[in-house]
Amino acid sequence: MPAIRTEALTKDYSTGFWRPRPSRALENLTLEIAPGEIFGFLGPNGAGKTTTLKLLMQLIFPTSGRAEILGRPVGDVGVKRRLGYLPENPYFYDNLTAEELLVYYARVFGHHGSEAARRAGELLDLVGIGGERALQLRKFSKGMLQRIGLAQALLNDPDVVFLDEPMSGLDPLGRRDVRELILRLRERGCTVFFSSHILSDAESLCSRVAILSAGRLIATGTVSELLAFGVGGWELVMTNLAAATVARLGLRIARATEIAEGHYALELPIDAAPDGLLRELTAAGAALVSLNPIRPTLEDVFIKKVGGARERATFHHGAHRDHREKT
Amino acid sequence: MTAGSKGAVQSWGSAFASARGSGGPPKPWRRRLAGPEGFSLKTFVFSVILLMGAIIGLQIARERQTNSIEPDERLLYVRSGPLLEKVSLSYDAVMADVYWIRTLQHYGGTRLSKKTDKRYDLLYPLLDITTSLDPKFAIAYRFGAIFLAEGYPDGPGRPDQAIELLKKGMRAQPQKWQYLHDAGFIYYWWLEDFRSAAEWFDRASRVPGSPWWLKPLTATTMAQGGDRASSRLLWQQMLEAADNDWLRQNATLRLAQLIALDHLDQLSALVARYKSSTGHLPSSWEILVGARLLSQAPIDPAGVPYHLDPATGAVELAEKSPLHPLPAHLRRH
Amino acid sequence: MRVVREIALHVFKESVRDRVPYTLVFFAVLLMATSYLLGQLTAGQEVKIIKDLGLAATSLIGLFIAIFIGIGLVSKEVERRSIYNLLSKPVSRRQVVLGKYLGLVLTLLVNISVMVAALYGVLAYFWFVSDPSVKAGWETPALDPALMVASGLIFVELALITALALVFSTFSSPLLSAALTFGLFIVGHFNADLKRFDQIVASRPVAYLARALYYLLPNLTLFDVKAEVVHGYHVPATAVVSAVGYAAAYIAVLVATSVFIFERRDFK
Repeated sequence: MPAIRTEALTKDYSTGFWRPRPSRALENLTLEIAPGEIFGFLGPNGAGKTTTLKLLMQLIFPTSGRAEILGRPVGDVGVKRRLGYLPENPYFYDNLTAEELLVYYARVFGHHGSEAARRAGELLDLVGIGGERALQLRKFSKGMLQRIGLAQALLNDPDVVFLDEPMSGLDPLGRRDVRELILRLRERGCTVFFSSHILSDAESLCSRVAILSAGRLIATGTVSELLAFGVGGWELVMTNLAAATVARLGLRIARATEIAEGHYALELPIDAAPDGLLRELTAAGAALVSLNPIRPTLEDVFIKKVGGARERATFHHGAHRDHREKT
Repeated sequence: MTAGSKGAVQSWGSAFASARGSGGPPKPWRRRLAGPEGFSLKTFVFSVILLMGAIIGLQIARERQTNSIEPDERLLYVRSGPLLEKVSLSYDAVMADVYWIRTLQHYGGTRLSKKTDKRYDLLYPLLDITTSLDPKFAIAYRFGAIFLAEGYPDGPGRPDQAIELLKKGMRAQPQKWQYLHDAGFIYYWWLEDFRSAAEWFDRASRVPGSPWWLKPLTATTMAQGGDRASSRLLWQQMLEAADNDWLRQNATLRLAQLIALDHLDQLSALVARYKSSTGHLPSSWEILVGARLLSQAPIDPAGVPYHLDPATGAVELAEKSPLHPLPAHLRRH
Repeated sequence: MRVVREIALHVFKESVRDRVPYTLVFFAVLLMATSYLLGQLTAGQEVKIIKDLGLAATSLIGLFIAIFIGIGLVSKEVERRSIYNLLSKPVSRRQVVLGKYLGLVLTLLVNISVMVAALYGVLAYFWFVSDPSVKAGWETPALDPALMVASGLIFVELALITALALVFSTFSSPLLSAALTFGLFIVGHFNADLKRFDQIVASRPVAYLARALYYLLPNLTLFDVKAEVVHGYHVPATAVVSAVGYAAAYIAVLVATSVFIFERRDFK
């Protein structure tokens, strides 16, 4: 039984008050995620990632299609006991302290009295909230709220965790913490479904990813499957190389980039063995700096799949952008 | 309580389709209404209808109960106009409107009620409050006075309170000749005090901007108080000024009564003429028609035949006529 | 039920943090200031005036809590998206609505109880310091138990208004919800005037419409026995029972409507 399954999940929003017109936020999404997987749900802003997560949390209802978590329809209270969810830019109650908030949620989960307090304390330790836990949440920074959000999502030792842009609002240290947390969840056998527009996160964490664009699923598979082209060529960096020598190489190299005076990066096509060329150039007086195979990154795959200037403009490898995804 | 107890795995789409017993994709709004979990549309509509029934039933039961005990005192917790004016802050004009509507409802409701002991106890306090909240509420003074003066059981029969209310209006707006005229009217019609009536008409006629007909009205009232001509003039003015159905009907009724009074006089004269020429009383109108004194059996302005008493020869308005009873003081001619 | 209780307690806690108790301080200051001023006036009416003022303030402050805090707690939760977290817990939407409502009612109950206790306190003081000749002039005893009836019905009325606020806040913005709730509060106090509308309008359909509205809109005059109580009129038990029954049925309709809407809406 898959941990998460969606079948032709479609969501239309009506836009316009007087003459509502449906606008499709998600179209025919069919996914299956096995237990224990770390699944990266990728796509540019507005691709429908948050819409999908909200459908899985039954915060919105699908126009058609269905979704199941742990073999039960979404919204099932029994299943919710085994879920964790971190919304995008989580917000809580301003007037409560971090501790009170987690105790409240622990009690909703059915923990009593001192047990709820103990559980809340454990989670706050886990996400690294120390003395600040007695402060009212109104005083919390965005990054700290993100940590509280993680704490509440993990309060019940969930079997499936949904994280909507978990890295957003975090500094590099915070991101490392979250990455470690996700890896620890994987060790425990927890299924993690997280959305991100930051590809490096997915590349280092995910066993499988799906790429979404404009509401449609455009690619899905393991990271290695998506990078299946394997070695795409070679990058040879040489120094002490004369421009004339480079010019003479002609079609034997795909591209030559002058990095500094006499210092070149040469891209070799996959079918050209690098050793012959290397020998020739060394004989011509050049010195080897490095020789590396060229592998496509997830971003290459992404840009190739999504294409278009608009996506490229909003898509930044590794860069954090502080704006809300409108889906 | 929750969808979790429902068991079988089903999508919302298929749950809906099976509920409708048909295939094909349902329209989104229908699916929306049918709902995702628990509370179905049917249950909701059914329980709301049931509860609304209970709510309406309770209100009706309460009305029955309070109506049978006492007049609706609730209209008048606060009997002090000035206090209410303070409480109403700057919304006293609106509050005055509310109280005026209450006044109309209280008067109209009591007038039309089938009860034998009609009580108009709240009428004067309501009018007093209305006019305290808005001292320039001319309609409230004028119609209020007419309501108050109206004889029992169609009104409380309190011309004294009517005059009191009009005097309050005069203090608030001395330039309103209408209040003076209305006071005169109440003396004329309900109190039959023609001297006082003429004095009020006279005062009204001396207010700048008052209409010309007040002067002849003063004169005729003074000279021959209670005659039909001046009465007719008065009611005619009432009819023209009325901007309310009840007042218009009332004035029309009074004018019809005045016509009926003229008819009665003429018919009595005919009967007398018949008797003097034949030596006996006519037994019915047909006799007079036969004698060519009348073209047909006479009917009053409301369309009901007049009653001829064959024993005494007295001509009367039929009791079932809507014009009955005629104002007594105008019977003498 | 446990979840509903937790949510209700959370609402209560939040309202306390949201400075609701300050209204109680305002109430106490108002009562004490009035009492002090009345002490300077001639004796006789002060007990009546304190009762009038105390009950009116209880009702107005309660209204303030019901409308502003009530609406804030539900629609703020949706608007600021804290509902996302709550609904991802093992909680149904129905439980959220019920919990929110009961929490607000609890808040009102506690607040009104404190205000009534303060009112009795001030009245006890007057009862203590007034001499018998002054007491003889009072329409009703200072510590009249009927005040409990009046304030009890104020509570019931406010529970109904809270349910109205709940319905509106399940689908509209906080400001609009507040306006609609306040509008219905006003209408509810004047709608007895719709009963005999046939007396002032000639048009039959209009009169029927007015009458239908009279029966359908909340009739809040049923709960207003302040003046009767202060003037020592007897409030029949049947009137109290029927008013409470009316409120219970009406609240059931409103809460059911809230659940119905809330279970179907998208949280965009």
